[in-house]
Amino acid sequence: MKKANDSKRTYMLITIPILALFVCFNTVPLIRGVIYSFTNFKGFGDYDWVGLRNYMDLFTDPRIGNSYLFTIKLAIVATIVTNVISLVLALGLNSKIRGKTFLRAAYFVPNVLGALVVGYIFQYIFTYILPEIGKMVGNKTLSTSLLSSTSLAWIAIVVVCAWQNIAMNTIIYISGLQTVPEDVYEAGDLDGATGWKKFRYLTFPLIIPFFTINMVLCVKNFLMVFDQIMAMTQGGPAQSTESISYLIYQNGMEGGSFGYQSANAVVFFIVIVAISVAQMSISSKKEEQL
Amino acid sequence: MRRENAISAALAVAMLTAVILPGCGSEGDSGVTEIEILQYKPEAAAYFDRVEDEFNESHDDIHLTISSPNDASTIMRTRFIREDYPDIIGIGGDINYSYYVDAGILADVSDYEGISDINPSYVDILESLEIVPTEGTYGVPYAANAAGVLYNREMFEEHGWEIPETWDELIQLCEDIKSEGILPFYFGFRDTWTCLAPWNALAVGLAPSDTCQNVNAGETTFSKEYRETAQKCLELLDYGPDDPFAYGYNDACTAFANGESAMYPIGSYAVPQIKQVNPDMNIDSFVMPGNNDASENTLNSGVDLMFAVTEACEDKDAALEVISFLLEDDNIQAYIDDQNAIPCKAGEFELASELDGMASFIEAGNMTDYQDHYYPSEMAADALIQTFLINGDVDTFLEDFDTRWQRYNRDIIREVQQYNEEHGTAE
Repeated sequence: MKKANDSKRTYMLITIPILALFVCFNTVPLIRGVIYSFTNFKGFGDYDWVGLRNYMDLFTDPRIGNSYLFTIKLAIVATIVTNVISLVLALGLNSKIRGKTFLRAAYFVPNVLGALVVGYIFQYIFTYILPEIGKMVGNKTLSTSLLSSTSLAWIAIVVVCAWQNIAMNTIIYISGLQTVPEDVYEAGDLDGATGWKKFRYLTFPLIIPFFTINMVLCVKNFLMVFDQIMAMTQGGPAQSTESISYLIYQNGMEGGSFGYQSANAVVFFIVIVAISVAQMSISSKKEEQL
Repeated sequence: MRRENAISAALAVAMLTAVILPGCGSEGDSGVTEIEILQYKPEAAAYFDRVEDEFNESHDDIHLTISSPNDASTIMRTRFIREDYPDIIGIGGDINYSYYVDAGILADVSDYEGISDINPSYVDILESLEIVPTEGTYGVPYAANAAGVLYNREMFEEHGWEIPETWDELIQLCEDIKSEGILPFYFGFRDTWTCLAPWNALAVGLAPSDTCQNVNAGETTFSKEYRETAQKCLELLDYGPDDPFAYGYNDACTAFANGESAMYPIGSYAVPQIKQVNPDMNIDSFVMPGNNDASENTLNSGVDLMFAVTEACEDKDAALEVISFLLEDDNIQAYIDDQNAIPCKAGEFELASELDGMASFIEAGNMTDYQDHYYPSEMAADALIQTFLINGDVDTFLEDFDTRWQRYNRDIIREVQQYNEEHGTAE
């Protein structure tokens, strides 16, 4: 009896400092953020309470509206692109091909590089190299920088985000594919399942848990996209690529509307929680157990 | 067992306190006063390191630390949130200064005798930046910059081009340059802030210098005052590269340094960057001629660096002694050589040759502060201007500028109008 109590106390002693740190650096700032969202705090000096003004402004501010539209558009398109390509890659890398280990390592490299570094490299490619290629093939859209066009810059961002995220997703899919037991395929063979049918009815249902993880990770990553924007466009041209996180940072820290962007952050937090919960509950219904 | 638990508990508490209470610095042991400067120009870090060493060698009673981090404005604000104030801050004369004065962060230094050595027009510029007139002087102007047009002197001499003094001459010059197959201007409009350089340079000549204050007082609108500036700014685009929004500030500096264009409308602060690419380049600058009446043109010049003592500084005399040291003629000359800047101190200083074309304006004191120093940073006026230059729609832009101004400035506008009601509109 006494022994059990002792170990309990030790666990408590381990847990309490961590809990204290968590509360101190996560919960308290979160609560303070919520408090600031009811003020006109600039980040320094005095501030006044403004009630719900910040929240009302959020819904009438075209800059905020555009940033939500852009971010959601980016998240949806990039998630689809990333998952399709990485699933195809994973199927290829899981089959019996030569140099599989090398290829797997090679495809993982983008994930190791820092997002800022990747952003700057792609910025150079989009500004100087791609237009040259565009001129050579005589394509008018490609002969100017994608990043300078208000209607196309978001595609450039999608490309970079997808390029970097495909690495991690592919690895997750490969590990998923390896959990599919060989005898399932053998049984399928007997029933005449080949090619697309084999994938659709055998492989895919069995890797749905991995699909769920990838979807949730992708959507969350892309909704919070920041580094790529910072490196490539800084929200431009014409504020067409301002993601929500970038806007919160840019306008809240540099722009000095700390209170207003705190309100934006609170709303964004609720949106992300809602989306994640919805995603989890939808996908978990579809999971198959062997 | 108990003992060990007690030890681990004590350890945990110690770790927590170490994390929660970040070192409260020890002060004034041994009678030496610590003075810390946080200044926002990382490009001048080498100069400030040297000054710091020289100061510490010659002073036993004061120990000076100057930090010049990247993105100092954000660092400054984060420290202000924590109420951890440096003794002296080095900032630009822009809206941030207005906010800091308004927030009561800065100390009144009007008793400081060094102020009398400063060129009064720069002291006035700081005065007019205050949101509502505030008694006292809150900053010591150190260096100014000027924005206009940089040009490739060799190229101009080779082709016999003359410096334009009116708007029509400028357009004619651009046509001449173009007809010789040379690009007149380079732009780096992907970095939104560079859109402000030609904008400011045109606006000082075309709009009244107190436009922003008048709008705040409800007496005029930007749609009225900025129409010509907007149109002329747009006109300049015809003489730039095909896709000016593809290039950033660095790209534009590099291209201009490599002789890809004859001119580059940007501030004098770009010269060190350009010279890094091409150290032998012969650059000069001229005032952006927005008007067709040459006498109405004025040089776009503002306080680029000023020092302000914070209210929280414990030994203000020591802080002022540091500022006096920085203001010694040798140090100022070294700074303006290093940064291609204009001194705010009155006296005989040798200006960099890159400022030759502007010297007559500087000597005559014909200078007007940047309009964007009054724009609230949360409004992102630079991005608005970039949007406008892409769309080319003057009416929508001006309307948008007016609406956003009212929205982002409402607290200031309320303060100004309240002040005017209480004091009666001055003048």
